[in-house]
Amino acid sequence: MEKKAQMEILGLAIVVVLVLIATIFVVRFILLKTPVNYRQGFVSAELASNTLNTFLKTTAADCSLLTMTELLQDCAQSEELSCRGIESLNSCKYVNDTMKGILAQTLEKWSIKYEFLAYVESSRPLIRLSNPENPCPADKRSKIFPIPIKSGTMYVKLGIC
Amino acid sequence: MKNAQIQIGETIAVLFVFFILITIGFIFYSKVIRSNIEIEKDELSQLQSIAAAQKVLFMPELQCSEENIIVDSCIDLMKLRALSRDTIRKENELHYYDLFGFSSIEITQAYPSQPGAYILYSKPLAGARSKFVTNIPMGLYDAADRTRKFGILKIETFIS
Repeated sequence: MEKKAQMEILGLAIVVVLVLIATIFVVRFILLKTPVNYRQGFVSAELASNTLNTFLKTTAADCSLLTMTELLQDCAQSEELSCRGIESLNSCKYVNDTMKGILAQTLEKWSIKYEFLAYVESSRPLIRLSNPENPCPADKRSKIFPIPIKSGTMYVKLGIC
Repeated sequence: MKNAQIQIGETIAVLFVFFILITIGFIFYSKVIRSNIEIEKDELSQLQSIAAAQKVLFMPELQCSEENIIVDSCIDLMKLRALSRDTIRKENELHYYDLFGFSSIEITQAYPSQPGAYILYSKPLAGARSKFVTNIPMGLYDAADRTRKFGILKIETFIS
């Protein structure tokens, strides 16, 4: 009689253990399954790269049909070029203003934090732009484009936070 | 006789509790499965949105080329103007439905700033639950004056 009761308790314990294992399995693999954000990964990967790539190849609207790359090269070297006729902006100021306008219409409009830098030495950037209200706390995804200049290489970097 | 009746009552009670437990388990399981289906549906819509973006980026009817070599991240403005004309857009709607489904695709020129947008495809889903908006910057090449402008490709994917 006592042995039969012991067997029943053992059977009950086995059932409880099986139910517990099943519960853990359900919680681990079904309830705690985090949704994957494929689009976010794709967008942040494409955004920094495409923004910089497109910007560098863009033709300046009122600066002798020079590209932004050529203006940046001048900015890092001699600043001989002047754009926009009467207002006469030097290449650095022209690139700065143009990029500021483009970023206001793109990343700022989409509420994306950014930091744009153009430099020969990273400690002394020629152009530095970031969100006026929300500065970038840390670079999460950034893209650097090297541009050859007479004295070496200059870099253009866009960080998306 | 009384003992047998008690045993039958016991069996019925056990079966009742068992079926209640099965029902609770089934309700829980179906709720979990339903939420998983929603998550998977969302992921699938995200993938569709990415696929649509990539298809637009590599459409031969829009891509720039120089001496038969494809230029990366660039759209030919002349091709774009032709393709976004209302009559041509309507003619191609069925063909593009296979590629883009319920979505809308437009391109705007951000620099030099130009008002309005070139609408390439527009098939919004009536009563859509939500939508994904994907913006991709890209160059717009104008072969007439050999200049490149800064454009934005905007793809809206609707989710039922």
